[in-house]
Amino acid sequence: MDTIVHMHPRAAEYPQSDLDRVIPDESELTAGVRIEPGKSYGFFTDTTVCIGCKACEVACKEWNTLPADNLGLTGQSFDNTGALSANTWRHVSFVEKSGAEGVRGTAQQPFQSGWLMMSDVCKHCHHAPCMEACPTGALFKTEFDTVVVQQDICNGCGYCVPACPFGVVEVSTLDGKAHKCTLCYDRLKGGLEPACAKSCPTDSIQFGELSDLQERAALRVEELHARGVPSAYLYGTPGAPGATGGMSHLNAFFLLIDRPEVYNLPSAPSRPSRRVAPSLFSGLAAVAGLTLAAALLFSDAERRP
Amino acid sequence: MPTIRGVVTIAQESRFQLTDGEGVSHLFVLSPHMLAEGDDLEGLQREQARIRVTYEAARNILGYLAQRIERI
Ligand code: SF4
Ligand code: SF4
Repeated sequence: MDTIVHMHPRAAEYPQSDLDRVIPDESELTAGVRIEPGKSYGFFTDTTVCIGCKACEVACKEWNTLPADNLGLTGQSFDNTGALSANTWRHVSFVEKSGAEGVRGTAQQPFQSGWLMMSDVCKHCHHAPCMEACPTGALFKTEFDTVVVQQDICNGCGYCVPACPFGVVEVSTLDGKAHKCTLCYDRLKGGLEPACAKSCPTDSIQFGELSDLQERAALRVEELHARGVPSAYLYGTPGAPGATGGMSHLNAFFLLIDRPEVYNLPSAPSRPSRRVAPSLFSGLAAVAGLTLAAALLFSDAERRP
Repeated sequence: MPTIRGVVTIAQESRFQLTDGEGVSHLFVLSPHMLAEGDDLEGLQREQARIRVTYEAARNILGYLAQRIERI
């Protein structure tokens, strides 16, 4: 048999189209990585190759049995899911930038500089603020270094919702529990690549071991710079934008070519837990100051004839 | 409240897909007021047990809110 370039040698063991069982460690064939507990996994989303097909949104809804929501048209370009929510765990945003003063441009720069598309998702933060805020321990770190909500423990208090700097997690109005991307925890346990990454036709979403993904992403930025896209940078890798305010790094990180805000990402996210001590001390200082001021006023009033 | 009979073909957290006698699939989310939990759905799916679901419509989604599940 001729060698097929880019094909994993194990793929030749499964030539049939209909399989009667799951391929063991299938992710090795589809993503080039074997999934093992104790290692760190994540997504590298290269927005420059996203074509906005929404295969990732559909694959996520299909695998996770998530209902279609926000029925109707948003009026925001080709976006019809609107935002990440309890029922939408991948959201492809469309940012139309070409043209000026209401007139659509007729020429496009390469690498989507006129029309930006990005498949957004839970960032599976290294120091996850949602997890820090959860009083029941429903949010936890899995053996794959991802962040998941345990549905039977979540009491729907909603503390995680304002804690997430990216506006990802949401309490469902249907069952009253918090829901968000699980990075396909059940698939990872079965040796399968997450559904969105597997379905992405352009490999805009890449799944893998975090250190490999970070290396691959750094090379891609260099390549884009060499090809005339100096604006390319990473969001969520250590020391980069998105990994600010004690966030360390994001397990789901992005390659962007415009400011984070253009993609609806915060430019400098931070952990709310880091603001607890300063808020507490400033509150105590304010109370002490007011008490002192009141004491001075009363003693002054008493001294007057 | 309307009811529907069928088999649980997919269970995910508190969501499940019920396939009726005609082979049409419907998506349900467990209501917070019902006694079943996500773990019960897995068992029903594994057994391919026939069930009756009492449900109500849910706003702004393509799915229903399951209020009661009974084996038949
Ligand atoms: S992005 Fe938000 S929901 Fe996801 S792990 Fe980070 S804080 Fe939690
Ligand atoms: S599947 Fe890939 S190319 Fe299609 S919208 Fe999602 S990220 Fe973009």
